[in-house]
Amino acid sequence: MRKYAVIYRSVLMENLQYAANIAMGFISFLIIIFVFISLWDYMYASPDDLIAGYTKEQMIWYVMITEMIWFGARSATITRQAAADIRGGNIAYLVNKPYRYPLYVLAKYTGEWNIQLPMYAMATAVIGLTMVGRIPNFHVTTLLLAVPCVLAGVTIHGVLKLCISMFSFWIEDSNPFQWLYDKLILVVGTIFPIEIFPAALQPVIKLTPIYTVCYGPAKLIVDFSMEKYLEILLVQMVYLGAGCGILFLLYEKGGRKLYVNGG
Amino acid sequence: MKVIEAEELSKNFKVKQKEKGMKGSIKAILHPQTEEIKAVDGISFGVEKGEVLAFIGPNGAGKSTTIKMLTGILYPDGGRIEVLGIDPVKKRKQLAYQIGTVFGQKEQLWTHLTPYDNFRFFGAIYDLSGGEIERRIAELAEIFELADFINTPVRNLSLGQRIRCEIVASLIHKPKVLFLDEPTIGLDVVVKENIRGLIKQMNRELNTTIFLTSHDVGDIEKLCKRIVIVNSGQIVMDDSMEHLKYHYLNKKIVEVKLQEEAVLPERKGITILKRKGGHIKLEVDTSVMKINDALRSIDAEYVEDINISNIPLEDIIMEIYRSKERTESL
Repeated sequence: MRKYAVIYRSVLMENLQYAANIAMGFISFLIIIFVFISLWDYMYASPDDLIAGYTKEQMIWYVMITEMIWFGARSATITRQAAADIRGGNIAYLVNKPYRYPLYVLAKYTGEWNIQLPMYAMATAVIGLTMVGRIPNFHVTTLLLAVPCVLAGVTIHGVLKLCISMFSFWIEDSNPFQWLYDKLILVVGTIFPIEIFPAALQPVIKLTPIYTVCYGPAKLIVDFSMEKYLEILLVQMVYLGAGCGILFLLYEKGGRKLYVNGG
Repeated sequence: MKVIEAEELSKNFKVKQKEKGMKGSIKAILHPQTEEIKAVDGISFGVEKGEVLAFIGPNGAGKSTTIKMLTGILYPDGGRIEVLGIDPVKKRKQLAYQIGTVFGQKEQLWTHLTPYDNFRFFGAIYDLSGGEIERRIAELAEIFELADFINTPVRNLSLGQRIRCEIVASLIHKPKVLFLDEPTIGLDVVVKENIRGLIKQMNRELNTTIFLTSHDVGDIEKLCKRIVIVNSGQIVMDDSMEHLKYHYLNKKIVEVKLQEEAVLPERKGITILKRKGGHIKLEVDTSVMKINDALRSIDAEYVEDINISNIPLEDIIMEIYRSKERTESL
């Protein structure tokens, strides 16, 4: 594992030079957060109202946390870069090293989100505490327990997106699939909690990556329960195991189809 | 002892075909058509330990495809390969510890990091200990004269400096075989010479086997003792550099500058290539006529200047390509 730790460290060193660039990404994050603070302020007629079981503070914190995960896990490496490597044949020059390419990309991705996510987490905490207020019934232990779920969610997100990039071994362009996945997470997953959707749809949504990537971690922070915690952790482990299995299967199968332009 | 062995190695590529225009585009969706191209067509060769081999050929000859199969990047469609006794298809990762690769047109260095950080990175990738990495960096930095820019981010290095660093990154784990795919592409003559000197030194001091592909005849002439020429996926020639020169350099080019225009007697073995005033360019076939006899046919009294040279290796190689093509078309 030492080599993957070194890859991770190298990305960290590389990205630290561009912390200012990452900070520029905050503009769209802040706009979205302000829009949703205003929207939910308008939707909740009185401070004691509950919508789908969420207080106003819980609802806004939920959106902020899911957006934090979304923005913190943004990575060109697992989407555009990996797909371009496969399509353009550059992967050929990466696979002849003594590491496994999917783990190499995931180590790079981890190096990226390890800088981005804490920055967005700090911004979320500052905006939340100054503009929304404390989360009702929130305890520091809740946060400590929820952090592994957030990290697992971000990792699953990376594994799934890398699986989609692996489609490039067979199809010209995997971007339409990335687009569908992104829209699923962004539109259905980050903006509203699952409970807000019609009862018939909720079990379906729970089967999608939304449950493990953004809903689960955010739900635990805004409304923690041990039962929910164990359920989410279990689902995340299943997703992670299955996701990695599919990823390596796609890579092994796809590697045999490798065609390198120009020889 | 052979470190590389290839037997009846072959690789085919399926290339999509599309007729021209919109009609062709629609047809390609409904009935996609592919053409199978033989990139490597049953080649066999071996490379001895410590040998510097030039593997050359025109574009599309199958050179890079062969390197990629030898390094485990591409899977062959047929034949057998062994590099250092390892099958690259089955044990790519195990082989990676034993070989180094430099692809002149591809960067393996991380451009935002310094060469030093890159070397540490590659050392760790190859499971070297911290102390071993430091020793190796110091050793290679001295051979490749990196001291002045070892702490400058790679993106700020000149192409020549970058290629030196690329080679060092490939050598950090003491590979037994180094594959160099056009390592001097895009470099100026001074830097090319420098890189060639370093490769030669490395082969001499570390006894590293070098498998080189290049379009630069200078690389081949100055580095390699053996040359394998491929064309259309097949080996056209596999010979020692000395033998090649002996066989193909039996023709000399004689350039003479005379004080005034003169008529040369036509003799077997002499071909006049160019004549302009007092300037004459001759080709002398030394297997038919000795160079001395050829010179005697020129009146020495009127000679202002004379230059005798071998036919450039580039022309020889081109002739070999062409003769093969001619044989095939017959």
